[in-house]
Amino acid sequence: MSMRTTLALATLRRHPARTVLAVLGIAVAAALLLDMVMLATGMRESFRSLLLTRGYQLRVSPKGTLPFDSEATIDGATAIVEALRANPDIKAVSPSLGTTLALPSQAFPSVFTLGLEADVQGDYVLEAGRDMPGPRNGAAAAIPLPAVVNRMFLVRSGRKLGDTLTVAAGIDAQLRTTARSRVVVLAGEGRFFYVPAETPVMALPLQEVRTLLGAEYRDRISLAMAESRKGDSVSVEAVRSWIAASQPRVTAISTETAIRQVEERLSYFRQLAFVLGAISLGIGFLLVATLVTLSVNERRGEIAVLRAIGTQKGGVLRQVFLEGFLLSSAGIAGGLLLGLVTARWLNGILRDFPGLPAAFDFFLWSPEAAWQSLALLLISGTLAGLLPAWRAASIPIVRSLREDAVG
Amino acid sequence: MESIPVRLIRMAAVVVALAAAPLSAPLAAQGDTALSPTYGRTPPAYRGIAIDARMAEDFGLRPGSLARLSGKPGETGDTVRIAAVFERKADPAEVARREYRIRTHLDHLQGLLGLDDRVDRFAVGVPDGVPVDSAVARINHVAFGFRAHKSADVAVQSSRTFRVVERFHRAIGLITVVASAVFLLCLLLLSVEERRRDIAALRLMGIAQGTIIRSIVIEAAVVSVIGSVIGAGIGWVSSLIVNAHFQQVYRTPLLFALLTPEIFAFATLTSLVLGIGAGAAAAWRLVRTPPLTLLGR
Repeated sequence: MSMRTTLALATLRRHPARTVLAVLGIAVAAALLLDMVMLATGMRESFRSLLLTRGYQLRVSPKGTLPFDSEATIDGATAIVEALRANPDIKAVSPSLGTTLALPSQAFPSVFTLGLEADVQGDYVLEAGRDMPGPRNGAAAAIPLPAVVNRMFLVRSGRKLGDTLTVAAGIDAQLRTTARSRVVVLAGEGRFFYVPAETPVMALPLQEVRTLLGAEYRDRISLAMAESRKGDSVSVEAVRSWIAASQPRVTAISTETAIRQVEERLSYFRQLAFVLGAISLGIGFLLVATLVTLSVNERRGEIAVLRAIGTQKGGVLRQVFLEGFLLSSAGIAGGLLLGLVTARWLNGILRDFPGLPAAFDFFLWSPEAAWQSLALLLISGTLAGLLPAWRAASIPIVRSLREDAVG
Repeated sequence: MESIPVRLIRMAAVVVALAAAPLSAPLAAQGDTALSPTYGRTPPAYRGIAIDARMAEDFGLRPGSLARLSGKPGETGDTVRIAAVFERKADPAEVARREYRIRTHLDHLQGLLGLDDRVDRFAVGVPDGVPVDSAVARINHVAFGFRAHKSADVAVQSSRTFRVVERFHRAIGLITVVASAVFLLCLLLLSVEERRRDIAALRLMGIAQGTIIRSIVIEAAVVSVIGSVIGAGIGWVSSLIVNAHFQQVYRTPLLFALLTPEIFAFATLTSLVLGIGAGAAAAWRLVRTPPLTLLGR
């Protein structure tokens, strides 16, 4: 250990209470900064990974709408889906129809239902039981019809896998009848990516949902997801443009566009993160600047002695500078741990937001962003010692020695 | 995710609104001539709708303007007259949604959407003295395909977003209070310790320890209160800037930052307690140290 480091450490050890408080202050500031950086970048990355869970980079929704943001549906869906599948640049297309089906005589009256094609669906992953049949596996003939539900459905309905129940559509409340119904068996339990954890959901074969909803829905979908054969952004954008040009009744949204739109809606959190991040940087800077300034003022005599015995200006400058660096480093190390703990706590609070997909996180550890922000705080804290270090190096030796001796 | 029925009217209104907006200008530009009745025919009676102020501003619509509404994109729809422009209420749940809102007569919207005799929900008022719970139970006993809820329960459910945001703000507030408290403690401790020589001189002059401690505590308290008042001033100015910025961004009268007397009292009291605590601790340490040691002898 160099003499300069030893001296800097000795100075910090001389006032343990002060040093501990300063390190604690910087740690809290660093934790807040880290949390805010995680909040600002986490939403974007979390949403991106959510959208790309199953590799579909494009969402095709009714013209002028966002996916599942309205009741609007795409008519003539078969022709559109076939046209998309015929494009050699498109690897897979997953159509879906969202609706609410009635559950006569159940604990809750209705369930949000997704009509999907099992072999291409990108909405859930099967966690238990068996999957529903695909369009080519005789879904229509299956009696009772296999359905995949989420955990919340099983909890709220009190049912278990293997149970059967009736789903219905076309309710006439006055006559107490339903136009169409179907007995389904709860064949599998799935984790649905885009549905909030607190929402019971059921997935059924697309064609069966259309049949249940009646003639008006026989060729409708709410959304189609498309996967570009080449995953790079240029190819995805080319496919998106082709869909926009060839299918005038739909809007194709790429992952980037969807992220932009969600960011717009959640911009409040990003701006809050920016403001609080800036404040925490300021607190860290002020804390180090104040401490080092007072420390230098206290040690004017000591610094004058060092200068008198031949220590160069640069040497004094570097030593005081080192104090700021050590304080900031210790605070940031503590702040990293504190930040991760508080981020987990804050994420737990925000994940209670109603309507958010279960897999969505607000605070996400991003090594690059985190290291950049902490490095910024370290530089800011170290630079905070610049002015006091310069003042220390410029102390008039004789006058300071005399003042120290006389008091 | 909202339930499908709850979203229906809202979404339908949006689809209708979006369909209306691009067509409104050409229609309005045709004036009365293009829309005048042919001789001998009854003039068409346009249904009136109300639109929100944001939509009126963006599309240059005003009461009396004509627009066309359709339930689905691409359909011809109905020609309607803008009967009123309304201000949206300051609703935090909708602040980040940049949708337009219109209000139509119920039968008009049902016709546009082809919903015949359907509604998303309706409100039921019970006579005075009738327990709401029993009314809800009786409705649900005979309900088929729908469910009755107490307004209070609906309010609790719909305010969940705000409760989450409030909890988040409290958590962030707690972290910033801790950061500020440590900063304040540090500063006060340092400002007292910097005066080691003054305190030593006072001690050597014979001033009692208690007097020195009291003077330092009073000084710390005064500094804390003055700092709090200045901080509150900065906070108040910041809240004006924050409100002006976000109100412009989201085009809403909603207040995003508010300095209330309770917040001011909390901040002042916290800093006063911390100031007194830090001042007393630092002063106690110094008065117990021999004066000559404080002087470095």
